[in-house]
Amino acid sequence: MTMIELIGFGIFFICLALCALIRLAKGPTPADRMVAGDAADNLICCAMILFSIYSGRGIYLDIALVGAMLGILDTMLVGRYLEGRL
Amino acid sequence: MAIRIVIDILIAIGAIFALAGTIGILKMPDTYCRMQASTCVATLGTLCTSIGGVLYAAIIMHSASAAVKIAVIALMIILTNPLGAHAIAKGAYRNGIRPEKEMTVDDYGRDMKNE
Amino acid sequence: MQKTKLPAVLTTFIVCFAFWIIITWSFDIQELAGGAVVSLAVALFSARFFIHENAFWFFNPAKFFSLLLYCIVIFPIELIKANVDVAKRCFTGCRNVNPGIVKIPVGLKSEYGQSMLANSITLTPGTITMEVTEEDGQTYYYVHWIDVAAESGEAAGEKIKGTLEKGIRRIFK
Repeated sequence: MTMIELIGFGIFFICLALCALIRLAKGPTPADRMVAGDAADNLICCAMILFSIYSGRGIYLDIALVGAMLGILDTMLVGRYLEGRL
Repeated sequence: MAIRIVIDILIAIGAIFALAGTIGILKMPDTYCRMQASTCVATLGTLCTSIGGVLYAAIIMHSASAAVKIAVIALMIILTNPLGAHAIAKGAYRNGIRPEKEMTVDDYGRDMKNE
Repeated sequence: MQKTKLPAVLTTFIVCFAFWIIITWSFDIQELAGGAVVSLAVALFSARFFIHENAFWFFNPAKFFSLLLYCIVIFPIELIKANVDVAKRCFTGCRNVNPGIVKIPVGLKSEYGQSMLANSITLTPGTITMEVTEEDGQTYYYVHWIDVAAESGEAAGEKIKGTLEKGIRRIFK
């Protein structure tokens, strides 16, 4: 028995990530862009979890894991650069 | 059958909080308030969705490795989000980004001038 | 730079090896041996950055129970309350915000306790820790707060971190 509503929630999360990309495109400062990119990263990880448990394939979970672990690196890098200590 | 309703409710709560965070990112008036709204996405939005995913993988799919991996993903996002928020907030303030409207209290700016 | 000590290496090795098992999820003898070698190398090189105090505090049952109580009961309640508050502000037009940066005193002495409290404050929506300073032996946090309800240090600190600090004080000094 598959749950068809999981794919609906997944598409909803992807649409939210696209809305966050609007702020990434027009944000007035670099910090705004970075925050929007981080939020889009988290939302896409959620959508990956939902797609994975809908289709029953474990490979999506690995992609989400790597995305969640490497999402911190660019945020730290941009933060240090803005502070002027890179 | 009852477990499916519980999973649906959990994922719907996560989607509602993610929607609130995204609206906040799009419409909040200044940079620091947008950061607060993005924390809303990373905590309850991710947490409720992954709890639903863990329940689905453990009870309906009978797959322990998928459940453990989803739990690790949620733990990673929860653990690494404060570091990034801290670095971005401090860097933005040191770089001279100020909100357009004057803040009510600004102890950090007052103490930075004295240095 | 501190010297590398044996308990620190052991703790880091256990954490790395558990992470390896979770990622691969196969109990073949060759994969376990490869994971053990890599974990030992990582632990030897990086243990002195992670563990600065007593490495085996985690095996004290009373402290472990306090940590479990903090992670399962105290912190999620605060998290849900703050999340509902911020979500309400977002859904009603994003105009009723009153941001400001306040300076609050902190009574914790241990390094782990201070960093745990700072991360907990950042993780609840509505407050972000911006910097940690120390003046005359007293530690202060600069916290960006989305709705400033009290301007003086002690009153603001009580509102932001009252229950969290009581929970953490049972775990660390």
